[in-house]
Amino acid sequence: MVDGKGGLRPQWRGLIGTFAALGGGGLAERGARLRRAFEEEGVTSMLPGPSTTDHIWRCDPVPLPILASDFADIEAGLIQRARLLEAILADLYGRQSLLADGTLPPSLVYDNPGFQRACCGMPQDSGLHFYAADLVRGPDGAWRVLADRTAGAGGIGFARENRRMLSRVLPELTRPMQLRHLRPFFDFWQDSLHKLAHNPALSATRSGGPAVALLTPGTSSPQWFEHMFLARELSCALVEGGDLTVRGGVLYLKTLRGLQQVDVLVRRSEGRLIDPLELDQRSHIGVPGLMDAARSGAVKIANDPGAAAAEAPALAAFLPNLCNRLLDERLMMQSVPTLWLGEARARAMVQQDPNRWLIRPATDGNAHAMTPAEMLPADREVLMRKIEQRPWDWAASAIIPPSVAPCLQGERLEPLPVVLRVFLVQDQGEWRAMQGGLARVVEPGQLAGSLPMGGLSKDVWVLNEERSDVIGPAPLPAPVLRIRRTSGDLPSRVADNLFWLGRHVERMERSGRLIRAAVSRLARGATLAPREVVELQSVARCLVEAGCISPDFVRVESSGAGLAEALIATTRDTGALMQQFANISRLTESVRDRLTGDMYATFTQTLRSAREDALNAGRSLDGLSHAMVSIQRYTNAVAGVAAESMVRGGGWIFLDLGRRMERAHAVTSEIAIAINQTPPRIETGLRLALELCDSAITYRTRYMNVLQPAPVLDLVLADQGNPRGLAFQLVAIHSLLDELSEPGPREMFAGVAAGLVAEVEALVEGVLAAKDQALAASDLPPMLEGIANTIGDLSDRITRRYFALLPVARSVGTGEADDSEDTEQLQGVA
Amino acid sequence: MRYRISHTTTYDYARPVDLASHMLHLLPRDVPGQSVMSAALEAEPLPGRMNLADDHFGNHVSWMFLDRRHDRFSVTLKAEVDVFFQPPPPVDETLPWEDVAAVALAGGPGAWQAAEFLFDSPMLPAEPAAGAYAVVSFPPGRPVLEGLLDLNARIRKEFSFKPGVTNVQTTVAKVLSQRAGVCQDFTHLMIAGLRAIGLPARYVSGYLRTRPPPGQPARRGADQSHAWVGAWMGPAHGWVDLDPTNNLVVKDEHVVLAYGRDYSDISPVRGVILGGGRHNVSVGVDLEAVE
Repeated sequence: MVDGKGGLRPQWRGLIGTFAALGGGGLAERGARLRRAFEEEGVTSMLPGPSTTDHIWRCDPVPLPILASDFADIEAGLIQRARLLEAILADLYGRQSLLADGTLPPSLVYDNPGFQRACCGMPQDSGLHFYAADLVRGPDGAWRVLADRTAGAGGIGFARENRRMLSRVLPELTRPMQLRHLRPFFDFWQDSLHKLAHNPALSATRSGGPAVALLTPGTSSPQWFEHMFLARELSCALVEGGDLTVRGGVLYLKTLRGLQQVDVLVRRSEGRLIDPLELDQRSHIGVPGLMDAARSGAVKIANDPGAAAAEAPALAAFLPNLCNRLLDERLMMQSVPTLWLGEARARAMVQQDPNRWLIRPATDGNAHAMTPAEMLPADREVLMRKIEQRPWDWAASAIIPPSVAPCLQGERLEPLPVVLRVFLVQDQGEWRAMQGGLARVVEPGQLAGSLPMGGLSKDVWVLNEERSDVIGPAPLPAPVLRIRRTSGDLPSRVADNLFWLGRHVERMERSGRLIRAAVSRLARGATLAPREVVELQSVARCLVEAGCISPDFVRVESSGAGLAEALIATTRDTGALMQQFANISRLTESVRDRLTGDMYATFTQTLRSAREDALNAGRSLDGLSHAMVSIQRYTNAVAGVAAESMVRGGGWIFLDLGRRMERAHAVTSEIAIAINQTPPRIETGLRLALELCDSAITYRTRYMNVLQPAPVLDLVLADQGNPRGLAFQLVAIHSLLDELSEPGPREMFAGVAAGLVAEVEALVEGVLAAKDQALAASDLPPMLEGIANTIGDLSDRITRRYFALLPVARSVGTGEADDSEDTEQLQGVA
Repeated sequence: MRYRISHTTTYDYARPVDLASHMLHLLPRDVPGQSVMSAALEAEPLPGRMNLADDHFGNHVSWMFLDRRHDRFSVTLKAEVDVFFQPPPPVDETLPWEDVAAVALAGGPGAWQAAEFLFDSPMLPAEPAAGAYAVVSFPPGRPVLEGLLDLNARIRKEFSFKPGVTNVQTTVAKVLSQRAGVCQDFTHLMIAGLRAIGLPARYVSGYLRTRPPPGQPARRGADQSHAWVGAWMGPAHGWVDLDPTNNLVVKDEHVVLAYGRDYSDISPVRGVILGGGRHNVSVGVDLEAVE
């Protein structure tokens, strides 16, 4: 912040004025607001559940400003480095002249986990498409590279989020500054990806131009947020290995409409994991044959699966020489002084005074650095011995204390050391840097190595010195898009997850309603009336059917104590409700890229508070009842958001279809259980059926207090206007299936739904026409069970048709799995 | 010496396979001392897509992709190959083994390609016990070939050939402790031992003639895929192939398929299938000398 002469660096002047106007308390308040905004949008952590405080990214309200002229120097230096690393990779995966003439020692390549031999001989026209570098600024004011990132550097999503949130929470800070925008970088990136398609002319003839997909390991990846964010920014499909298949040397995405070709794959999975056939055969997230498709040019993978080889920390020691040799230029952006310990002289320097150095594995850029100065003598001894034994495995970097930047700590600003990550992308030979970056406060031991899972980050501002420098995004010529309405492009896995999310949310709501029905009776105290025991037994059966309690509790004694115990157990760690919460969290996370930020926030916040209420219910029925209200609030929120905010396309169709299927099945089974009574007791069953279907008030307004079987059954089974009744669900299912794009199976499925509507109407008419309605009603349960089975069967068939069985791919011929039994897995099945 | 090779690998699946991808290191390569006269692969059923290329090590690789349902997949190599590997130099002409190690590690002209075989590989992580076993054959200053021949002989003498006590995944440590295994195990052991003391060593896959030359004892590991060791003697003399399973210097009884760092680089048939249930693999190899 301060220059060598004690003066304020110019980039800080504007900022300091604004902070002064806010005052310490004001800034702290904004800091808290910023933190809250991050929590609400789920940037900090993903799943509701045990909070993971050490895995949280926070944004400091104080940005890191860099003058445009300084940033231009950084950019120029990094562009040269990117070109250099690209040339090195092209040589290593091609002629290997750098090895043949001894410019590079063999261990840096052949003992390098990032060096993928399967990539040798691949088309190397642009092996490096994306590049990032970690920079530190030393006491002399010069930026130096601490690590080159060629594999798929994370953090760009956080950088963009930081900017978005900061300008929302501190508008007065961003407004007066001549701040360069981040967005043009993503437009440039997106455009460059389209040009990577090997035959743009051919792929452009398909609707929508070349198809780009971003390959992620999935929700279990710590970078999931980033991948989701990037896919959205780059307007490409977010896919997992299981969504892809290679046929005839071409890469396809499995969608509802069938296989769709993918031209460009933005790789965010580790290179060695993307093809179990040629690379790591233990990988379960790869696509067999992907390397063959890439080799033949049918798909371009960016960055190349072997690009990580250039991340080797020891390479820094050779870059000045390599730059002269390969580019015939002087290296502009220096690395932090680095030695490769395979050289005797370098080794001697480090052995003489180990405390001056950071020790890093020579070829693993993700390993954390070791600092002998901070090690116990015995540990240092062990490390030095390891270096002595295999010196070529090690590199040493000079310890440069990174420059500090003011960060908000409590209500005060404190200077903390920062590392800056800058991101660059190439478009046919032209490299550009994002005009900003991700700065993060370095904790001890985090200087080198992979991005930590969380910490304090800062938005990076590139400040124009003059207004005339402001350059808007260059308009890109985009082809005129055809209007598209259907959503067959939805990957089958996403449709599957939405369908099951719908089912689980409904199942949760049903559990909540049933538990409330039971608790309201149990909480009346003292002993239960015989009628209440009958009702409770029905409710208990419904709860068993819903998987909430075990069948042991169906017999309800007059105290109801056993049932109360079982209900309370549903909120324990292993209880049914907790499992439902876990299922819903997992599914919500897996479809997160289909939800807007607000929708996601609504879903997760209400889910989180429902879960907390359930956990806090303790052993009281009151607490349980309160938690059930919370659950209701959650399921209502989902329903509301889905109804009001989701486009009626493929995603919504499957979410709603899941919900309607589940409810149709539940309503039918519950009514069957409720009216499974002898004719004299049928009235009790009918009353319960109305209660469970939330239809008592409607009934009363229609029929006053006269309870008769046919009108009750009409309301809960056949009335197409009752959203809690069966017919409503069947009609909805019918029209949802009708919206799915392809004719054959659609008509068959829709036909089943229509048939069920007719069947239900006939049932109710039969009761109405019967001489003894009570007798006729008490005969219904077996038929209702038959309908429930048909609904279950329809659900299975839809799952099979639209979500495709995904058997697990297995390796053969390598001895690993030759004897194992095939396990066919259905995704998403609860 | 000319050989006629026939090598069939058959997978029988309990349930149909919908999609299968195979990568084969089955076509023999030309190397100094070996010329491939003819070589062809036949697959049944016919793959929907096939591709051919040379891998990083210069081996011929074939890919076969099947996208029709099938219960059985079989692939057969038929080839004719001429071999006559030059005998190694007199042991006294080879460099002291420490010098070979130093030259290899430095890389550069004459040594950089051999250097690749100095380091850990997927199936052969550093195994100090293997180094301790190997170093006995390499007292200070010993000519590298003398040490190699000694190690080759020791493995033959001190380990028993027992099919079934190991599998493809067995570690070198296990082989060392049980003192038994098959050709792949002895090959891995010897490679790990040589690398541990700094000498480049590679895995050679191939075949051994089915019937021994007249008057010779039956060989171990004939009738199936065979494996042995390539060891580096320095820039002047290059590689020598040693078969620790039979204590042979490779001369005219072996046919080379491929070179790799270990088995995983060049497993003859490797694949990924969807479906299939349990499966049986059967392999038949025949290597006959042609008059």
